[in-house]
Amino acid sequence: MNILTMLWKNLWGGSRTLRFPLRPKVTQRYRGLVQFDPELCTGCAICKFRCTSRAITYQAGKGEFTWSYDPGQCTFCGRCVEGCKAHALSQESACPPIYLHSGELKKTYTVARRAPAPKTAPAVPKAAATPASPKLAETPATGGTQ
Amino acid sequence: MNMTTALARLLIFPGILFAVPAAWFFLWVERKAVALMQGRIGPPFMQPFYDFVKLLGKDTPPRSGIAGGLMRAWPLIAVSTAAGAVGLLPVLPASGGFQGDLILLLALLEVPSICIIAAGFSSRSLFGEIGSAREAVLSVSYNVVFLLAIVSVAASQHTFRLEALAQMPPSPLLWLGILAILICLPAKLHLNPFSLPNAEQEIYSGPMVEFAGPELAMWELSHGLEWVAATGLVATLIAPHITLWWAAAIVFVALSFGIVLLLSAIAAATARLAIDTTVRFYWQCTLIFAVLAVSSALFMRLRS
Repeated sequence: MNILTMLWKNLWGGSRTLRFPLRPKVTQRYRGLVQFDPELCTGCAICKFRCTSRAITYQAGKGEFTWSYDPGQCTFCGRCVEGCKAHALSQESACPPIYLHSGELKKTYTVARRAPAPKTAPAVPKAAATPASPKLAETPATGGTQ
Repeated sequence: MNMTTALARLLIFPGILFAVPAAWFFLWVERKAVALMQGRIGPPFMQPFYDFVKLLGKDTPPRSGIAGGLMRAWPLIAVSTAAGAVGLLPVLPASGGFQGDLILLLALLEVPSICIIAAGFSSRSLFGEIGSAREAVLSVSYNVVFLLAIVSVAASQHTFRLEALAQMPPSPLLWLGILAILICLPAKLHLNPFSLPNAEQEIYSGPMVEFAGPELAMWELSHGLEWVAATGLVATLIAPHITLWWAAAIVFVALSFGIVLLLSAIAAATARLAIDTTVRFYWQCTLIFAVLAVSSALFMRLRS
């Protein structure tokens, strides 16, 4: 008889399906879009190697590198975030936004490569060895060349 | 019944002109009711009609030889016989009919099931053959109860004329027969818990797996017409005798609608049973109904 009670409640309780543009609530540890912090990135490209869906691309240049992320290809597995030793990557706790064109959410960052830390005595503080802030340039999405 | 009445019944009411939209409506009611009971939104009102039109516009894979011809023929035979069965229902008062039309109705109701069995084997698909075998076993199981229930009600009235049965006053035997028919309807209409032949996840809809385009559209239509015929048969047995034709038509539609809702609730509340459980259910449990119905019919006949 429990099933009949359940059916009766469902019949009068309305549907659980959300109509567009409503979105379901997310949990605390929800894995959403990958967020990139160029200030913290060291350009090691571990994230690119860990990304099995090829959503992250990395191109090394002279004195700088280009990091791109295409959410359209991302499976939100979180392996890039796990592998980032510099904690430059994180994941949003929200549903990815709705987009209408391919590559609309794609983001590309060109980051100046940091100078390597000088091999000096351990007495020298580490903060003094790194530059104050790397040169940053965020390029809007261009429609995605992979 | 003269030729004009017969054509009007077959082509207008309760025949094709009424039965085809009613088939789409009942298919929608079933899907919508099950969805609402499961906490979903369900399809829009016109969805079965849109599905039909969309399928008509699609291409069918080229098939040659006898198997190809048969695969084109089975759905057409199923549609025509199901439409014929609806046309025989004595919905309107003094609608005519002939002695033995009950037997013709039962035969016509059975043809779509035979077509499904044949279609599955004609398709030469493994899933189609499994579905057809299941349909055959299921058909043998529930038809014993289905036919005995109807025949016992008819035998108690000394007639095989549908109109006489429709005007039969309510009696315990009639209600026993209706209950037995209602138990058989989920199997006849491939509904849960007896939806074995067209199990989507297990055997990819069984006999329908190789059908596409207009052929599949015809199968969908024949399924809808089966809904109208089967629920209409029960509705004509339940409906009180009304002399006004429009009131009789409204009562018929309302009762059919109620039966569709009842069957939808059963489908939503149950899960699919295995084939052995289904066969055991029909042979062991519901046979009791049929035996009771036959004994009651004999008793009534001896008393009269």
